[in-house]
Amino acid sequence: MSQEQASRPLEAMNTVGRNVPRIDAYERVTGKATYTRDVRLPGMLYARILRSPHPHARIRSIDISRAEALPGVRSVVTHETHQLIYSSGSVAGGRQYNDAAKDITTHLRYMFDNPVRYVGQPVAAVAAVDRHVAEEALQLIDIDYEELPFVIDAERALESGAALVWPEGNLALDYQNQARPMVRRVGDVSAGLQAADRVFEDRYTTAFVQDGQMEPRSALAEWHGDKVTIHTPTQGISNCRHDNARDLGLEDHQVQIVCKYMGGGFGDKNGSYYFDLIAATLAKEADAPVLLELTRKDDWLGTHGRWHTIQDFKVGVKQDGTVTAIQMHGYSGMGPYLRRSGGISGIEVYACPNTERIIYPVHTNRMVSGNFRAPSDPQGFFAMQSMMDDIAYKLGVDPVDFAKQNMLRPTEDVRFTNYTMEECIERGAQLFDWQGRRRPEPGSDPGPVKRGAGMSFMMFRSGVGPSSAILRVDSEQRYTLFVGVTDIGPGAKTTMALIAAEELGVPLSQVEVVWGDTDRCPYSVGESGSRTTTQTGYAVVQAAIDLKEQIAEAGVPTGDEVLIASATPTPSTQGRRRMCFGAHFVEVETDVRLGHVRISKYVAVHESGRILNPLPARDQIRGAALQGIGQALHEDLLYDARNGHPLTAGYYGARHLTHMDAPEIEVTFIETDDGFGPYGAKTVGEAGIILGPAAVANAIFNAIGHRMRDLPITRDKILEALS
Amino acid sequence: MDRKKSEKEPRELPESHEPQEGAHLSRRDFLEGTGAALGVAGVAPRLGVAESRTAVVAPQEAEAVPRTRIRLTVNGTEHRLDAEDRWTLNELLRDHIELTGSKIGCNRGECGACTVLLDGEPIYSCSTLAVWADGRAVQTVEGLEQDGELTPLQQAFIDHDAAQCGFCTPGQLMTATAMLNQNSSPTAGEVREALVGNLCRCSNYNAIVEAVLASTGSGGAP
Repeated sequence: MSQEQASRPLEAMNTVGRNVPRIDAYERVTGKATYTRDVRLPGMLYARILRSPHPHARIRSIDISRAEALPGVRSVVTHETHQLIYSSGSVAGGRQYNDAAKDITTHLRYMFDNPVRYVGQPVAAVAAVDRHVAEEALQLIDIDYEELPFVIDAERALESGAALVWPEGNLALDYQNQARPMVRRVGDVSAGLQAADRVFEDRYTTAFVQDGQMEPRSALAEWHGDKVTIHTPTQGISNCRHDNARDLGLEDHQVQIVCKYMGGGFGDKNGSYYFDLIAATLAKEADAPVLLELTRKDDWLGTHGRWHTIQDFKVGVKQDGTVTAIQMHGYSGMGPYLRRSGGISGIEVYACPNTERIIYPVHTNRMVSGNFRAPSDPQGFFAMQSMMDDIAYKLGVDPVDFAKQNMLRPTEDVRFTNYTMEECIERGAQLFDWQGRRRPEPGSDPGPVKRGAGMSFMMFRSGVGPSSAILRVDSEQRYTLFVGVTDIGPGAKTTMALIAAEELGVPLSQVEVVWGDTDRCPYSVGESGSRTTTQTGYAVVQAAIDLKEQIAEAGVPTGDEVLIASATPTPSTQGRRRMCFGAHFVEVETDVRLGHVRISKYVAVHESGRILNPLPARDQIRGAALQGIGQALHEDLLYDARNGHPLTAGYYGARHLTHMDAPEIEVTFIETDDGFGPYGAKTVGEAGIILGPAAVANAIFNAIGHRMRDLPITRDKILEALS
Repeated sequence: MDRKKSEKEPRELPESHEPQEGAHLSRRDFLEGTGAALGVAGVAPRLGVAESRTAVVAPQEAEAVPRTRIRLTVNGTEHRLDAEDRWTLNELLRDHIELTGSKIGCNRGECGACTVLLDGEPIYSCSTLAVWADGRAVQTVEGLEQDGELTPLQQAFIDHDAAQCGFCTPGQLMTATAMLNQNSSPTAGEVREALVGNLCRCSNYNAIVEAVLASTGSGGAP
């Protein structure tokens, strides 16, 4: 299909494209679904972690003798007893499985580190006969800390004289072990600014957002000789196995990862951490299975969340509204260990020929930053599209027209597998009644409850790539699909079964899925990067095609015979960009007496290719949009700069949305089939979270006439802006 | 600490989910509570750290954990057992009666994943001591299905895709069950109000409310 060919409604296929309840829905509504902490092993011990109360301190001494003497304690481990390095100490996420990085980085990530660099960092762990004894034992570990200077503010961390998180300085090292910012330049930004009729400058900031998935981390480890089985909530069993094997000094086949059900991930559970290693180490030492349970507070401070950012913009615009230059210099607060790049996206969706983006990933003594659903995006889109919305109003232009004038479109150099950006915006504007709801004059409602409308738009990668699937049929015509997926919420297991049933032309009830166990399943890319449907799903299609051919050739198996097919396709789009597209339109009511914001309408239009199972796809968008609203209005992790302590760790403190905070999200999918992925399906999971903060912030501006430049947009900030 | 207080008046549950002063606290409750309170005050949160302890348990005491004989009904089955006084109801259910349906999302009364019904009232089982359930009837998510029949609410949760990751689902189901027992035809607003103490980080709130309404016959098609 040509890039801009208008999309038409797709017919539902036999199985795909219809609302199908999840194949494990029964287990989920009856309490029978087995999450990691629901697994019970004979003789199992319980483990707890002791954590640093200091943002930066050297451990002078650590005395575990009283803890070890407590009846019921079986094992105590510290940095003195075990020096394991997790995620192999590589420096940047995305390359977290890069062995070469381990050899060159000076920022190794130890299971227990000394010095400790943030409040909540593990310093010791105890395994005992029950969790109460383990908790008591933590109190009996005597530690002499030498407190060190610390830094909490990301910008200040780069100033001279700042406390050093690492001896080399606070600018994070890249994957080549070099302290340098991430720089991306296109065209000539200086020339672009000079060519502009007007140049706009502003600073935007976004706060740390904890993924906060409902199931805290845990790990249950059991050794069988030189093999270890680890039950652990992970977003990718295959990668988790490989990482743990390397970190434990084992071969992949010596590690079995099991994750049947998982209570949410959102990026918090991709990439390995210290939990699995601590459980495995304690289990080895105690010679018994060990269940390590993180408390909510452990999980809040001891995992990661979306990096907070500071973004300084210069945007040059011609009188006719053409953007000639975009410059963004940003800081990403990464905490003391670099789990991910610290990228900030948003510029790429504009056609502007001259852009410059310089990002400083900065170490601080806050907790670690890392992946959260579309890791680089909502914070970047909030700032970039607030900036553009502001410019549109300053030029007296409708923000929708300004977006359409300046957004990236297909060209001979920029080729897409298909392109529906404009269609998404137009459909959204129509469904939302943009003309009716937007206030041409921001803040013009007489009040005290002022209404306003805002929008934002995005395109997001929906790549293709390798993954594997195995499919077996027996003489009863039972089809067993082996896929290395876990089910973190979007319904991967059901989606894989739907695809197999569709391609095989059999009822869904004839397909059984084997999942979540590295000893039984082939490699899967993992439930991260919104890749399972597109990549593992495509492998399922290919395996099913192979099996059909085998059946055509050899006939249906009889007796004890089985036929088995496997596939590890490596598809390519031949240089074309495969993207999903979306536009969100939001109306808010802002009570200027209280600073309170209520979302009165929220329309989300997405093109994610063919929608394989409409109900869960819709709920991916609705849930993600609500998380975006939480980031826009509520969520933060405040630190006391005087003592380096987090103040709002937990659901109450961070104000994650409740039932009462959640407006209705109206979702519309524009369906297409670009010929890639399984039946043209693209990514869904991350796309919905990207646009909320920008659209909500723009709607608040339209309502009150004041630009809110710092997330979260809490009541106090609105009242201050209005005062 | 006056441990007897809770035994004498087992039916008097505290209104809030905060541990009551004077009631028997587990060490975890104590630590979580002090950690949160001190954090807000701008003083070092304790995070299980062994500094300036006020209630260190000496090793010999750890062996002799006080237990109380209790009798309770769980999903219609009567249990008599010697519960450690420090066990929460959630620990009793998950670790000692092997009903792992109710979940621990926070263990401090913030999220509602541990919600069960105690004499028909939804309570956070993480913030309820096991001994307080003496003489009372507990219903968990495992007790909803009867003779292979799901409740209309469970079926609606399936049909409306109300469970994404599913971790909060047992709690949502139990609170909604209790609400529907009181009010068989709630409005969407009443459902949201009743379920406000049950967080869903997948933020599947729209679908949960739709499912609850549909189970009463007042909701539309999915």
